[in-house]
Amino acid sequence: MSGRVITITSGKGGVGKTTASANIGVALASTGASVALVDMDIGLRNLDILMGLENRVVYNLVDVVEERCKLRQALVKDKKMPNLSLLPAAQTRDKTAVNSDQMKQLCAELKELFEFVVIDSPAGIESGFQNAIAGAEEAIVITTPEMSAVRDADRIIGLLEARKDEIQEYRLVINRIRPSMVKNNDMMSVDDVLEILSVKLLGVVPEDSEIITSTNKGEPVSGTDNTRSGLAFRNIARRLRGEDVPFMDLDPQNSTWFSRIVQFFNPAAVRV
Amino acid sequence: MSKIAIISQPDQGVLIDVSGCNTMQEASEHLSSTLQVSSQFWKGSNVALNLGRLELAPQQVAQVLAIAKGVGANPQQVFTSNETTKVSLMQNNVKLGDGVPMSLPNVSLDAQLQHDFEADEEAVDEISSGKTVEEDVTHLYETQESQDIADAPEVSLAEETDEKGESATKSPPLPAVLYLRQTLRSGQTVSHKGHLVIVGDVNPGAELMAEGDITVWGALRGIAHAGIGGNVGAEIRALKLQPIQIRIAHAIARSPDKPQVKFASQKGAGPETARLVDGKIRISKRNIE
Repeated sequence: MSGRVITITSGKGGVGKTTASANIGVALASTGASVALVDMDIGLRNLDILMGLENRVVYNLVDVVEERCKLRQALVKDKKMPNLSLLPAAQTRDKTAVNSDQMKQLCAELKELFEFVVIDSPAGIESGFQNAIAGAEEAIVITTPEMSAVRDADRIIGLLEARKDEIQEYRLVINRIRPSMVKNNDMMSVDDVLEILSVKLLGVVPEDSEIITSTNKGEPVSGTDNTRSGLAFRNIARRLRGEDVPFMDLDPQNSTWFSRIVQFFNPAAVRV
Repeated sequence: MSKIAIISQPDQGVLIDVSGCNTMQEASEHLSSTLQVSSQFWKGSNVALNLGRLELAPQQVAQVLAIAKGVGANPQQVFTSNETTKVSLMQNNVKLGDGVPMSLPNVSLDAQLQHDFEADEEAVDEISSGKTVEEDVTHLYETQESQDIADAPEVSLAEETDEKGESATKSPPLPAVLYLRQTLRSGQTVSHKGHLVIVGDVNPGAELMAEGDITVWGALRGIAHAGIGGNVGAEIRALKLQPIQIRIAHAIARSPDKPQVKFASQKGAGPETARLVDGKIRISKRNIE
């Protein structure tokens, strides 16, 4: 059984790669698959914080690559899901600590142990990014609906296209979209982004303040489906597994006092 | 037929076509001076070479291959209709192309004006101080008169030069056309000593540079610089002209700052051409001035 190695990248920093990695990982694990999350942001690691596992980290990716420990010892099992594990990055080193060949070997090892290997790439286009895609066969490009993020995502897609022999599939996730702003023409719409990027769409995640709470608590939103962003990530996980899930209706609800009360009690109330 | 062409199609890779050249020497000269596309262009593509009727000895074949390899283009197969060349290719362990090589659509090229290039500081000042491109709105709907066609520049055909052994007209050598069927993404650049045709979009962050015209059959959203080397007659045209900056020869311009609906939902302005008029860049809908 050989697993799928998927790298989550974006080019631009701060668009939600780490959040997406954590949430997609948790969502995939909820469907029953065995998942390994790999934090490739060496020196600035965050994935362990989002997963709430930062005080359980003993060994990290650099220790494995430099053979100070076995891979098994570095993998941290998730608090709630036994089929989800995290391979943390090193906080005290930097991106020069590993090279592409080491990454390819590591990915080959992880593929044999897990059905999904989700790699969180750092921002940028240099060695950090190059290492993150070294062992991958698929990529997910994250962008927000803003010109700057789209410009950087375009660059990244260009770099992924140049490696079409290794990376066979790359798809887009549009993150932090605000349907009401799109309606007022203050924000790019999904179609605007796709017109420039021309790449297959994997999912659209709405802006959600629940994400901030979940980050601080260390519990990714996609663990449950009572938040809109959590639901979006769960749909993305289902699409990754091959299901044909229709995109959420993100039209801004009519802001009557009644609908606002309903939303207060159930944030994921999605009108069809 | 032009002397040299580079043709790319997504499913067929890239073809370097020197079949329009008459002699080996010409082919080498054109190859070395023209193959200056950015190296990212060659990465991961299937590159082929078309020698046409040229007759090459084994060491000449090695020479041509060396020129191509020098810019990062490694031809994986070579097309030829000449028996001697076939033998030379086999002696160099080169795979012979099977089937028919791609060919360019027929193209009519304008004669180029050769000027000395001078940096224009004024143009740079203007663009940062806020002067913008003027739109040529009065001529939007004029139809082409028959005299436009009569005034079209003479096309000098390669067949004529074959018979006479020298150019039929005294115009400078026909520039090659780089014809790309792909979308250029941010960070990708293409530079070419001739006319440039892109069938696809040019995304913001991509850059095009050409000594001749630039034609984008798609949306031009990046930066385009035509007429490098002082060719003030160069034009830039696109189905959707929404560039970050346009440069023709020494002049620079950017699209108007006036508040416009930024996103795709706007009603498009349609195909437009930018050309230099009295030293300033003007955009109009007329195909030929």
